[in-house]
Amino acid sequence: MKKIIIICTAIFIFSCTGDFGDVTDFKDVENPNLSETSVVGQPNSASIWLTGLERQLALVFNETLVLSELGSDNYVNTQTFFNQFMDGLEIQITDPDMRDTQRQIQRLRELAVFGIAEVGPGDPNYDAETEAEFNFFEGFSYLLSGMYFSALPQEPVGTPIPSAQHYQNAVVAFDAAIAINAKAEYYLAKARANYYLGNKSEAIVAANAALAIDTAFDRTVLFDESNGPSNTFEDALYERATFDDLQPLPTLDFLDPKYSFLDPNEDAPVHYLKAEEAYLILAEAALSDNDIVAARANLTALVNLVDTREVRTIDDSIEQRSQVDEGSRPDNADIIVNGRTGLVLDRQSGQVNIASVSGTSLTTDDIAAMQDDDAGLSLLYRTRQEVFIAEGLRFVDMGVKLVIDENEILINENINEGDLGTTPVIPSFISAVVADLDAITYNIGTGVASTSINLNDILVANKSSDQVVPFE
Amino acid sequence: MKQKLTLMLTPILVLFMTFSFAQEKKVTGVVTDQGGLPLPGVSVLVVGTTNGTQTDFDGNYTINVSQGQTLRYSYLGQKTVSMVVGASAKMDVQLQEDAEALEEVIVTGQGSGIARRKLSTTVDVLDAEDIDKLPANQIDQLLQSTTPSAQIRLSSGQPGTAAIIRTRGPISAASSATPVVIIDGVRVDNLNSNPQLGIATGGANVSALADIPVESIERIEYIKGGAATTLYGADAANGIIQIITKKGKDGKSAAFFESNVGVINATKDFLKYDRTADVIFQPGWSQQFRVGLSGGSEKFTYNFGGSLYKDDSYNDINEQIRRTFTFGLTAKVTDKLRYQGSFSFVNFESNLDYNANTSFSRFSNLEGSARGATDEFTDAEFAEETARYQRIGKLVDISSTTNRITASNKFIYDIDENFQVNATLGIDNRNTVQEELLSNALQVELGSVAPGTTDQGELTRVLRSAFTVTTDINLTHKAYTDNLSFVSILGGQFFRSSDRQNRLNGSGGVDGTRSLNNFSEQTFSDFVLENSNYGLYFLENVGIYDVAFLEFGGRLDKNTISGANTDPLLLPKIGLTYNLSDHDFYINSGISDVVSTIKLRANYGEATNFAQPFDQDKTFAQNPFLGGPSFTFDNQGNEDLVSERVKTTEFGLELGFFSNRLYLSGTRYMGITEDALFTPQDPPSSGQANQIQNIGEVENKGYEFALNATLIQKEKQNLSINLSYNTNENLVTDSGGAPPFVVGGFTVLGSVVEEGQSLGYLRGTAAILQDDGTYAFEANTALGDTFAPNFGSMGLNYTYGDFNFYATADYQFGGKITDLSFLLRHLRGTDDTGIPQELIDLGTSPFNYVNYFVFDNDFLKVRNIGASYNFGDIAKPLFSNIRLGVTVTNPFNWTAGTFDPETTGSGISAQNGFASGGFAYGTESAPRTYIASLRFEF
Repeated sequence: MKKIIIICTAIFIFSCTGDFGDVTDFKDVENPNLSETSVVGQPNSASIWLTGLERQLALVFNETLVLSELGSDNYVNTQTFFNQFMDGLEIQITDPDMRDTQRQIQRLRELAVFGIAEVGPGDPNYDAETEAEFNFFEGFSYLLSGMYFSALPQEPVGTPIPSAQHYQNAVVAFDAAIAINAKAEYYLAKARANYYLGNKSEAIVAANAALAIDTAFDRTVLFDESNGPSNTFEDALYERATFDDLQPLPTLDFLDPKYSFLDPNEDAPVHYLKAEEAYLILAEAALSDNDIVAARANLTALVNLVDTREVRTIDDSIEQRSQVDEGSRPDNADIIVNGRTGLVLDRQSGQVNIASVSGTSLTTDDIAAMQDDDAGLSLLYRTRQEVFIAEGLRFVDMGVKLVIDENEILINENINEGDLGTTPVIPSFISAVVADLDAITYNIGTGVASTSINLNDILVANKSSDQVVPFE
Repeated sequence: MKQKLTLMLTPILVLFMTFSFAQEKKVTGVVTDQGGLPLPGVSVLVVGTTNGTQTDFDGNYTINVSQGQTLRYSYLGQKTVSMVVGASAKMDVQLQEDAEALEEVIVTGQGSGIARRKLSTTVDVLDAEDIDKLPANQIDQLLQSTTPSAQIRLSSGQPGTAAIIRTRGPISAASSATPVVIIDGVRVDNLNSNPQLGIATGGANVSALADIPVESIERIEYIKGGAATTLYGADAANGIIQIITKKGKDGKSAAFFESNVGVINATKDFLKYDRTADVIFQPGWSQQFRVGLSGGSEKFTYNFGGSLYKDDSYNDINEQIRRTFTFGLTAKVTDKLRYQGSFSFVNFESNLDYNANTSFSRFSNLEGSARGATDEFTDAEFAEETARYQRIGKLVDISSTTNRITASNKFIYDIDENFQVNATLGIDNRNTVQEELLSNALQVELGSVAPGTTDQGELTRVLRSAFTVTTDINLTHKAYTDNLSFVSILGGQFFRSSDRQNRLNGSGGVDGTRSLNNFSEQTFSDFVLENSNYGLYFLENVGIYDVAFLEFGGRLDKNTISGANTDPLLLPKIGLTYNLSDHDFYINSGISDVVSTIKLRANYGEATNFAQPFDQDKTFAQNPFLGGPSFTFDNQGNEDLVSERVKTTEFGLELGFFSNRLYLSGTRYMGITEDALFTPQDPPSSGQANQIQNIGEVENKGYEFALNATLIQKEKQNLSINLSYNTNENLVTDSGGAPPFVVGGFTVLGSVVEEGQSLGYLRGTAAILQDDGTYAFEANTALGDTFAPNFGSMGLNYTYGDFNFYATADYQFGGKITDLSFLLRHLRGTDDTGIPQELIDLGTSPFNYVNYFVFDNDFLKVRNIGASYNFGDIAKPLFSNIRLGVTVTNPFNWTAGTFDPETTGSGISAQNGFASGGFAYGTESAPRTYIASLRFEF
């Protein structure tokens, strides 16, 4: 009996002290997401952070490309899905796309800075290549700030600094990256910053340094078709198909769509730092130095390089070239645009070949005939427009700048409405032709189309402006 | 032959002989009330057996019973009478009124049941009779137009879609205003939007309200926020809807079988193009079978209800099927311990079309003239267009299946006559599977891939499992002195809810499969919310001379969605009720013949809403990117995050005239949401995501008036009407310095939270005509309140003998809404109605003159008209009653604009988001249904 009592008591005590409490404790909840300590201070965290930066860059381009391509003469939005204001260059602080664009650019910066300050140093496997990349991304966030905004803060709720200062900050960061682990694209990024600053000699040095490492380099923004972010601009150009949101200027028809369906895993990349740009910078610098021979050499090298780039053969029959009504825009190969043929493709009779990296209508004959004059410079700008279509550079070449978002103005004590950056910058010669940027005339019967203006000529005509054509 | 018959009959005779030993005889009688009027439906039961019956419409009953047995006569509101059967074959009984039992007891929000007359708060009640009349299958449809002070707006006609429910204005920018729903004391999933990872159909989403069991409801209590919900604390600031299920009654077993059949017709009143109806509308059938059983003895009662429902909707593709069964029971375990249990199972299957915000939406494309205005098409063009849309319709494949199980257990232990322990334990488990199959064939038909494509099919499956466990235990003590009465309640409540979602995507597939295994590319994502909430509450209700009642109490509330720097919240309540007309001097004075009731009420109470679980934590995200991991910032975290607190003060007056045949109730309420949860834009320069913070303050003020009048009250004839009118003034009094932020719609034309404006008001760029004939474009112009500041409902009920007729309607006015379909038509150049040509000629974006697309959201809608007739026992002995009913839902509409201001499917935000309802867009209106029902009672 005694034993039974002892055993019973033991069982009872054991049942009270065991883990049975868990059965009746329902209070605890566990957040399944990552805490800071699971990221900072962990082995290999820097390389995962770097992939995060690559992914962030995709998010940045998903904002900048739609705005800048619509804001330029490259594309017109004929539907309601994408930004409704940029075609008319109605750049407003209340436009949510302004907010999202700068948030993504500045998130890229914050991620890069956090990578340099916290994640990298905390990772025992942090290497020079990753460190250089962190610096490159920091620099690239400044470069984008300078390209698209006349002024933008360079730190959370900081004072907006002007575009030129962002370009200079970018150069400092790219130099840091180059010092750690030089890469062609770092030099090109530095060349671009100097190009837009008008620092011709620095731009030439950097462009040559890039080509010295690799004459055909091509750095891309990658997109994840299955997990996202997928390429928003590919949606606009191709995937939304018959919705025909964005229509190219007929002179650029043969270059559209640069992005099309790749595979269910990866979406079409954006070639944002490619060797072509170095040749174009060098050619423009040569023209500015009245060295037509060097300019021709660089453009020849460019055309040769473009010839080696990928051309995709795709079925684009689902695009109708419509502006509300089907077939209301140029849609077959016989059409003459601005007196030129071969610029428009017939998408309804079989597959079409589209350059997915770079394409141009520039020929070796054009180059041979090119002179060191405004016509030559205009041809160079036409080539820039063609090579960089759907890459967001045309808008920058036009000298137009976006504005700081209304929320930033309201929250940030360092900004007041009216300050630099809070009003759009549109050069007077651009605002004079806003309505004509995307305007075309098209006679379906005769198959003759023309653009209302030649923006390249307008840019060259205003080359003395410090808002455009930086080397002049 | 004769021999065979004898053989067959022998066993039956033996049976009869066995029973005949008891010397049964037939007893008949009439049961009357204390005024001598016959009482129909009185339960007459032979004590100790299950043998029983009910009195008929004239109070008559007949029962076979043995001499010496006891008959018990019971009826709600009357004192039960037991009589021993003597030699007489006739037993007439007069029942006496039971004053205490007649007092309506309110359970919800009180911890334990408290008589309605002692409460300082108002409660809307729907009883079984009201509910049985309505043809609705959804809780929101039941409450619509039948509750005096709730605004219930059906956001789409598609099956299972959510309604926006609001009572005292928008109190929170961080919730959809949907009340907490409780079934027999157990909280149930009330997600009234698409789940976080849910399949987006462009607006209309299947709501958890669609599958809350509505079978076997004894009553529904709807308490609005404020003092009434203080004891629930937690997220009860939007009010509580409690469903109390039937558990059977002591008495004769009863059963019924009901069959409904209906025709469902689309509402065409709001179409821009008549041809839209020709393309997609198609009248459908609805069919329902319901059965019920109930009965019980003194120690055990039971109720079972089951139903099967199907309809194929008003268009060519929608369908819904609902299968439910419920049971409830009560058991007297010992003299002191009682048990009540209920269980329900609901299976709900439905499918949706694409709506509004997606380019795939047929209705939106037709009404928005995406492919041109159909009224300008030639017959041949239209025939081709119709065929195309119908081909698309056949290929649209978006389905949702939900299985929900809810179970409640309640234990009541009477320590003594005045001291009771109540304990409740229950669960709700709701599992939903949504699927969208975007086949190659559909994509080809939509023109989004090239004809001949066979390898780009996509299948998305979303699994959501919501589980809630609720426990509550309280002690109720009653005490009396000569002049005072005390009800004291002390309790604790705990609930825990989890919401686990998985989204599985397959792409790169061929057609003909619904298995994700067959897709070349497979991705998934998950989402988890988990929350536990616990609180202690107490309540004291002191009665003074049984005419005035002072109640005070509170709740100490804590939950796991609060930051590390926060403390539990103490939520107090206090109320005072004075039933002036219950004084003896008043009752004896002549005035009481005219003014029969005078009741004054005042109270103050606090209730809360919490943020989304885990919003307080700083987190990082690791996203899959091109096959590898990638880190990024996630939630900023907020260590100071607490629930927002709504402080409500109410004053009320109730007046009854002529024995309450005319009854008026008026309430003034003022609710202030402090520490309001706002998620403003983080400065873009931070590069961080927006973080929810307790920075706001929102004020709601208004009046609630309800009138009930019994115009005819005769022995066989009764006519009553009810009418309500409510007002709401809403203002964001403080935004904590945050710039205005959008909580719905679009940023360029949004539902916005801004200091000095109503919560979720419409804001956008307006074109203002200047004196010189030009237009100024004024950004951020206030375009109106999305929440109609005036609203109410009305109803009529007429009974003549066995015939009943009823009608219900509701209305609103004073608010504004955007007609987005018009905006789309205008963008596409097919509709410039009311827009000055000079403005159009400027060539600017229509988003710069959105004021031309905003209209009044006024409406008056008749929701239900119905009639029924009880044939009584014409088919005796087979059926004790046969009831025939007919109802029409949504028969008449009057609106200020040409569109339906309720179809705001796209205005309901994501999970735990704000529902502004400010955008009518791209989905069909609730259909018109004609239902006939035949009910056989046994």
